[in-house]
Amino acid sequence: MNIGAAILATVQVTAMVILSPILVGLMRQVRARMEGRVGAGVLQPWRDLRKLFAKESLQAQGTSWVMSLGPVVLVASSALVCVLVPLVGTVTFPLIPDDLFVMVSVLLIGTVALALIGLDSGSAFGGMGSSRHMTIAALVEPTVLVAVYALSIPVGSSSLSLIVDARLLDPASVASPVSLLALVALFIAVVAETGRMPVDNPSTHLELTMIHEAMVLESSGRDLAWLELGSWMRLGALLGLVGSLLVPWGIAGDVTPLTLLVGLLMLIVKLAVLGSALAAGEVFLAKLRLFRVPELLAGSFVLAFLAVTASYFVVQG
Amino acid sequence: MTVLVLFPLVACLALAVSTAYWRTPILCRFSGLIAAATVTVSGIALSGVVLNGSTLTAGGLLRVDALSAFMLTVVGAVGLTATWGGLPTRSAPATSWTYSALVTLFLGAMSLAVLSDNLGVLWIAVEATTIATAFLVGHHGTRRSLEAAWKYVVLGSVGVAIAFLGLVLLYAATVAAGRPTLSWIVLTQGHLPLDPSLLKVAGALAVLGFATKAGLAPMHSWLPDAHSQAPAPVSGLMSGVLLSVAFYAILRVQAVVNPVLGPGLMRGLLLTAGLLSLAVAAGLIIAQRDLKRMLAYSSIEHMGLLALAAAIGGTLAIAAALLHVLGHGLAKSSLFVVSGRILAVEGTTQIAGIRGLLTRRPAVAVPYLAGMAALLGLPPFSLFFSEVAIVIAGFQAGLGWAMAVAVGLLLVLFAGLARHSANMTLGQDSATPADLTRLDPTPHGPQLPLLLALGVTAVIGFATGPLSTLLTQAASLLVGAP
Amino acid sequence: MSASLFDQLISLSAGVLLLTSVLLVWKRSLIAAVRLLALQGAALAAMVAVIGVFESDLELLAVAGLVLLLKGFVLPFVLDRSRVRTGAVREETPLMNTTSSLLVLSLLTMLAYLVSQPWLALDPGPTTAAVPVGISLVLYGFLILTTRRHAISQLVGFLVLDNGIATVAFLTSGGVPFVVELGASLDVLLVVLILRVLGGRITDEFGGAYLDELTELRD
Repeated sequence: MNIGAAILATVQVTAMVILSPILVGLMRQVRARMEGRVGAGVLQPWRDLRKLFAKESLQAQGTSWVMSLGPVVLVASSALVCVLVPLVGTVTFPLIPDDLFVMVSVLLIGTVALALIGLDSGSAFGGMGSSRHMTIAALVEPTVLVAVYALSIPVGSSSLSLIVDARLLDPASVASPVSLLALVALFIAVVAETGRMPVDNPSTHLELTMIHEAMVLESSGRDLAWLELGSWMRLGALLGLVGSLLVPWGIAGDVTPLTLLVGLLMLIVKLAVLGSALAAGEVFLAKLRLFRVPELLAGSFVLAFLAVTASYFVVQG
Repeated sequence: MTVLVLFPLVACLALAVSTAYWRTPILCRFSGLIAAATVTVSGIALSGVVLNGSTLTAGGLLRVDALSAFMLTVVGAVGLTATWGGLPTRSAPATSWTYSALVTLFLGAMSLAVLSDNLGVLWIAVEATTIATAFLVGHHGTRRSLEAAWKYVVLGSVGVAIAFLGLVLLYAATVAAGRPTLSWIVLTQGHLPLDPSLLKVAGALAVLGFATKAGLAPMHSWLPDAHSQAPAPVSGLMSGVLLSVAFYAILRVQAVVNPVLGPGLMRGLLLTAGLLSLAVAAGLIIAQRDLKRMLAYSSIEHMGLLALAAAIGGTLAIAAALLHVLGHGLAKSSLFVVSGRILAVEGTTQIAGIRGLLTRRPAVAVPYLAGMAALLGLPPFSLFFSEVAIVIAGFQAGLGWAMAVAVGLLLVLFAGLARHSANMTLGQDSATPADLTRLDPTPHGPQLPLLLALGVTAVIGFATGPLSTLLTQAASLLVGAP
Repeated sequence: MSASLFDQLISLSAGVLLLTSVLLVWKRSLIAAVRLLALQGAALAAMVAVIGVFESDLELLAVAGLVLLLKGFVLPFVLDRSRVRTGAVREETPLMNTTSSLLVLSLLTMLAYLVSQPWLALDPGPTTAAVPVGISLVLYGFLILTTRRHAISQLVGFLVLDNGIATVAFLTSGGVPFVVELGASLDVLLVVLILRVLGGRITDEFGGAYLDELTELRD
């Protein structure tokens, strides 16, 4: 079991490291094509990373070790999330709990690291980005927790792999209203957490509209490369989570070369579909004004909450 | 005999339709009056039939027992007072056909409410009264009357919708008990095994809903606005008998719930509502500036008293409550009719703007004073006897503390009403110089209906015979004597 | 119709009812509100039809048709005409902002489930499991009625309240007797028509249908 889990973990992390920039590239390409532009190609994020890794990172005056350590912490937390979330398979380490709460806590570590990087440079834009980021995180965490919790009630356990396994065994539960409600709420929360439209515009150049971009404004070179990779891996992992919950078929139940290959292919397909859908949707959405974001997140929280209350009574009734 | 039951309903409908269709001046002027007279005569006839021992039904939905016959008579009598007394004088503008048709429909809806056996039909009739009176309240078309009409329709409909939820749950309870029905006689006599918890919620919701329509606090906020902005005869009808019809609905629901759950739930709800209504009315009546609004708060007071009587339960309290319904209806409608005349001649209903009415316009002031004496519960008017009976019944039932509070609040109300009335009628009008004060002897409207109404109120307190038999029969129906 | 299909269809229509009500509280656009109400009426009609097919009750199917016609077409149409008459497109500043309304909504949902606990214990089954949805709708209707300032929003709240009561009626007892159902539908229609006319007159008199400008009657 331990060997199998270790192999699976390695496969998941490596896959996400390689696939996340391609996912972002795909999303940018879809958006570009729909907007009538040629686009930079699907591999452009990898080219950007290669360029950034070759450059030295300049540190602004007054910054500390946070600027250089923060990005590494972010990447580490994203990698850990890739281990915990059942992307390719549901085989887990017995001593590392892949519990819902653990996953959310690990995500939070990354969030806090990013916020601290933004604050460290002491610039106004960085601080603004960090405060907005933490506000959104404070509203999003409960929604993610409640939404996945709603899905865990029929299973009786909040372990992500068990939830996915249960959904695999009972196809009807995937299409039940409770599940759909919870997944819609989760999707909105993921959009907010990863800084996509309509919460944050990832391609904006106007500092006053930035949330994520403002925090990485002062980073450069290798630091920036780690930051970008870490953020992209978060996006990939969370979209992968939504994909696994929405369409659990193809996920490996045990570790053999064939099941791993199938799981990997399914992951690629799910990420591609979800990413393209998200990118296509972004073309038609305008960014929400900041004070309207709590409304959106409160709405998604209510949907998740309704899913929880409804699922309690589906179980009892 | 079935014809007799359907007669008042058909008559009201026919009159309303003919007024709407032909719109002749005679119909416009008199259709409300004719409808009220028809209802009164039917009520008296049906009371006679019921006292002879038979109970009439029609179509499985309508049923006339002692209570229905009595309430029908009340509807008719108060309607007659309001429509007859409210006939416009020769110099006033003619009544519009919409007004007449709506008043006639209003009377018809109230008659349907008191004659129905099926609680669902009762609900429909009560909602129909809201619909019929909506445009009557907003008749003047001013900003204030529109505001009052909107609030009245929204709050009234929401309250009635809550009552509908209660009736729905009641029906669900009967379905679960194996005999789906909304018939009152089946619910009370059929010994259905109704589920207590379901019945508790159903009863509470139904009473809450109808209490909104009866103007009991804390759902009373629409009442002062609606009753002060409506034309005077309409206010008289609404205050005088519509509130009582809603109270009648509460009594019917209570009779269904109490045999199964015991008196505790209804007693608690109605005691709270009753005392709260008395408190609200007492608190707000002292600083009132508008005559019609003052009368509206007085209606809240009397509805609170009726709620207390229903909470007490027992034959004495219920019979006294029914007598109070008749007395209050006649007195209140007379007062509203007179207030309409005051508005017509003085041009205002502000209490501060009306002075020395007794010296300047005695033919208007005397009916007002007589009506106010009746409303305050002075003997020989029947309200004195009914209020005393309710208090006695309360003490007998062990609710002495509630009665003491109620009597205290009634005294406050007495003081407030008396003070305002004295300010308006007694003394000289110091604003106008003495030589310019002309005595205006004309009554500005028919005096006979007011005389009849107040006369009846003065006499029935002492009357025995058929009326007391009818009241006792009606009360025992509700108390559930085997 | 099999029992499990019946289960699923009932919970699906209950879910749509709940979702449309949440969106009604969430969105402030009055045009969207009218469309959501129409969708809600259609979902309610579908629920009644499903119960009717399952119990092979022709009368219920007729009632489903009535509900679809009234709540799915006629009432939203009248409401939309009313909205155009008052000239409003959005509820500008409600008494409670959207975030708080949504959080209160969650609390009300919890309350509805708590209140209906006795019945769920008494008679467990797919229809009674959806009763809390009806009660939630009633509470949401109250929320909209009390926290919105525009006349059309109050109408929307009243209709949501009415839909909730109808849901509870159909789920607990398969509806009320046909006569009562007919009378109740007629009453709702007439109330909405009356409020439309009053709303029009208020717009003419006050220049808008914001009800908190109606403050002349006070003690």
